[in-house]
Amino acid sequence: MRIAGRAWVVGDDINTDLLYPATCFRLPPAERRWQTLSANRPGWAREVRPGDVLVAGSNFGMGSSRPAADNLRDLGIRLVVADSINGLFFRTAINTGLPILEVPGVSRSVREGSRLEADLTEGWVRTDGRELQGRPLPPFLARILEDGGVLARLAKQGYID
Amino acid sequence: MSRPQTQIEKILSHHSTEAPGRPVEPEDIVEVEVDRLVLLDMAATHPEFMGHLPHRIQHPERIAWVFDHLVPPPTIELATGLAKLRELARRWGIREVFDVGRGGISHPLMAERGWVRPGEILANTDSHTCAAGALGCAGRGVGMLEVMSILCTGKTWFRVGGTVRARLEGKLPRGVYGKDLFLALAGTYGGIPGKNLEFQGPGVAHLAIPTRQVVATMGAEIGAEFVLFPPDDRALEYVRARVPAGETLRPVEADPEAHYEQEWPLALDPLVPLVAEPGRVTRNVKPVQELSHVAIQRAVVGSCANGTLEDLEQVSTILAGRKVHPDVVLTVTPNTSAVFAEASRLGHLETIVRAGGLVTNATCGACFGGHLGVLGDGEVCVTSTTRNFQGRMGSSQARIYLASSATVAASAVTGHLTDPRELLSEAP
Repeated sequence: MRIAGRAWVVGDDINTDLLYPATCFRLPPAERRWQTLSANRPGWAREVRPGDVLVAGSNFGMGSSRPAADNLRDLGIRLVVADSINGLFFRTAINTGLPILEVPGVSRSVREGSRLEADLTEGWVRTDGRELQGRPLPPFLARILEDGGVLARLAKQGYID
Repeated sequence: MSRPQTQIEKILSHHSTEAPGRPVEPEDIVEVEVDRLVLLDMAATHPEFMGHLPHRIQHPERIAWVFDHLVPPPTIELATGLAKLRELARRWGIREVFDVGRGGISHPLMAERGWVRPGEILANTDSHTCAAGALGCAGRGVGMLEVMSILCTGKTWFRVGGTVRARLEGKLPRGVYGKDLFLALAGTYGGIPGKNLEFQGPGVAHLAIPTRQVVATMGAEIGAEFVLFPPDDRALEYVRARVPAGETLRPVEADPEAHYEQEWPLALDPLVPLVAEPGRVTRNVKPVQELSHVAIQRAVVGSCANGTLEDLEQVSTILAGRKVHPDVVLTVTPNTSAVFAEASRLGHLETIVRAGGLVTNATCGACFGGHLGVLGDGEVCVTSTTRNFQGRMGSSQARIYLASSATVAASAVTGHLTDPRELLSEAP
């Protein structure tokens, strides 16, 4: 699975309270995305364009089970690449159909605004003529993404409408 | 002779759908049978769930539905949603519904009701499900979408992570509690996203079950996949007292020669009361005494981690004969209705209320900025709840310090961050 886009770069410890503040629980689903990173990077959500890629530091997605990946997906973020990723966020991203890849050191190697290309199942990213190798996405998980996330898969299997 | 395995590797291996009992190792994806599943009131806030309900579900007898995050419901939408969830539980044949006022926060509640058993796999939407590891149960928060998948299929998957071993020596000294133990590890060793944490060593035997529950619950804050204590006599005694007679337990221990990626030694005797400064828990921890200049306006005791009877007793011991500082609002949230009732019987709640504190019903409440005391702009809070992230408990302009319940109570009395040993030594 190959994906490319313009990179945004954020730092370490971007947690789910920053990605999906508690105010989201009281907003209609269509308005929740605008709260993304509103506490630490006000205005950013309005600058994101569909197809952009988010590059982050260590411990990305630390925190709660809230549907924080939805906000990134709904902003049009096509791929998340981070130095290290919280396990629950990783699962939520896969289930929600948001491609995600762990590549140690990536946040220090990508310049914001650069074009970044990645291959999920091979586990690499390329940017500004450099290539970094990360943890390839296992085929079991790549298939969930290919299905379009877990809801689409459950619908395909006849469990839900 | 197969490869020796850590406690979590063995539990996952036993539950594998593909090859039960075949050893697993880091980077494997293991599909497993789920022994027990917990749904929450928050399901009502997920349009993906409410709009795509499963036609039928697997194993309703293995499912509990706990209303804990936003109870009693503060909005019309949620009150309406809870009524729909009750109807769904009836339709699906889920009998274990812990409704408003009749349960509490899911993690301590499930342990209290014998739903947390060593060697089993427990799934719940919520991130603090690792709390179950206090009893040697592989508990994992998996999010709403995965819970939907488990409802439909009875199965889930885990990407096996490497395991870190914390070796505990000695005993916790007076005035130092499970939260301080956890903060010592988080401050010294930092985060382990995707890895597991197993506790071993002679110090474990001295830790009471509620203390282990605090530590296991907080494991989420260093990014641990699973946090496991061994199913020792103390754990088994706790579980047996809560499980119907005749039901067999299947505890799992690590193999003696198992491989651990890292060793985290920790001596308990020299520990002092600690606090995590605002923003994150990992490598952001100091002794409370070094931060005594920090004035506070809000003090919160509670959450799945620190709303136990022991916490309420610590608070009541410090508040007895004293008053909450006039510039501070203290909120205390017992973690289950049973703990509320027992703390009431023992007089802890009366002591807290007479000192000027507010006692709420059992709920996740302020911990996640939900309700019952969110923080305002510029407020400084010391809390024994689970997270100190920016915006976590309300305003993104508030500052959150994380500490033990005793430290919170002592700070509520003085109006600034205070080592609880200062008030414990001069009991009024």
